[in-house]
Amino acid sequence: MKYEPKALIAEVTHRCPLHCVYCSNPLEMQRRSEELSTSDWVSIFQQAGEMGVLQLHLTGGEPLARTDLAELIKAGRSSGLYINLITSGVGLDGPKLDALIEAGLDHIQLSFQDIEEGPANEFAGTRSHALKLRMAAMIRERRVGFTLNMVVHRSNLDRLEQMLAFAEQSGAQRVEIAHVQYYGWALKNRDALLPTRAQVDKSIEIVEAARTRLRGRLRIDFVLPDYYAKYPKPCMNGWGHQQMLIDPAGRVLPCHAAGVIPGLELSSTREHPLRWIWEESPAINKFRDESWMPEPCKSCDRRTRDFGGCRCQALLLTGDAAATDPVCTLAPRHDVIEKILAQVNGNSRNEWVYRIDPV
Amino acid sequence: MTQVGLESVLRLAPGCRLNEHGAGQDLLLIPEGALRMQGPARKIVELLNGERTVQTIIEDLQHRYGSEDAARIETETIALLTRLRDRGALESV
Repeated sequence: MKYEPKALIAEVTHRCPLHCVYCSNPLEMQRRSEELSTSDWVSIFQQAGEMGVLQLHLTGGEPLARTDLAELIKAGRSSGLYINLITSGVGLDGPKLDALIEAGLDHIQLSFQDIEEGPANEFAGTRSHALKLRMAAMIRERRVGFTLNMVVHRSNLDRLEQMLAFAEQSGAQRVEIAHVQYYGWALKNRDALLPTRAQVDKSIEIVEAARTRLRGRLRIDFVLPDYYAKYPKPCMNGWGHQQMLIDPAGRVLPCHAAGVIPGLELSSTREHPLRWIWEESPAINKFRDESWMPEPCKSCDRRTRDFGGCRCQALLLTGDAAATDPVCTLAPRHDVIEKILAQVNGNSRNEWVYRIDPV
Repeated sequence: MTQVGLESVLRLAPGCRLNEHGAGQDLLLIPEGALRMQGPARKIVELLNGERTVQTIIEDLQHRYGSEDAARIETETIALLTRLRDRGALESV
């Protein structure tokens, strides 16, 4: 097999106490009654370990909403996987955290919506900020890998320096300054979320200065919003190249968002072995090689670096999943992005659209 | 950032560990992925127990791999440890 899977993203539930205005879960969320059982996940992790997968990212929704999380961690670890928990921290306390670490948790990625409580709670659609601060202190006291994930956008990017100052004293080894990506619910709120060009330029300066100052003490991961990039991002490092995502019901996708692509024939771990799905399933093979590529991708030197960009973004912005990602300045439909940026760079603030939890 | 010194005492940072399983045994797992530990690199990382100084580790390696390469072993060990520390994979004790 040419493509070796390195990471498995396990969306163990779509249930979540937060209602973030930029939630990355699909618009159609899976209900609790459709969720895989503990033994289903245990089998998936075993198969993943045998296939050479290294990293398991437990995410959601909020993975802490599952009462069997410690069992899942234990199963992942005994399958040889590195276990990363991606969490809001809501539902965590000291004893629970100890139990997860005892079960083999390697690393926690704790998300923050802002550095100021008022706006943080506004973006999360819940009063969760104060709790997150307590969770950060609790994680710092324990021996487990710790990354802060700061979600940034137009309404909070001006507080980037304060966010980095918080990260510096938080005890985290790493901070991700994560621009919202415009899929799922975030697309609905894009016009209120997309930063201005002036904000983006300033944020680059701030991050560069902080990187120099904090080198060896705090690692800063920072990815620019791709609407402002010259070329597209190498989405998932290539469709079906290194990573797969399993949704709460066991459907295997190449990424978080691909469920939006019409006609994509998803296979389920309830019906097929994971290896077959990775190697043979129609969805994982759909945009895996270069045969789908239109011009200018097909003859472009960058095609082996960015793989034509993101298929979901191509669909959402042009109506065609097999188009060149329109964020690419070479794309025939780059006008779509130019129009959005022109609007945003002269726009006033919009109202949020909140989402509700699946039952 | 300054180089790792001979008196430094280091250990793997939380969230970083050598892979214990199968084909990936030469990998150092870190939060963002994995780093390949080629040749003596894995041995060097194994020797970091939060008690030994870098000097002690270098002496151990010189003993293990032959002292005619002593200077090179010292330079390369310090270079590796500096890289890993700058990557956030090591912490000072």
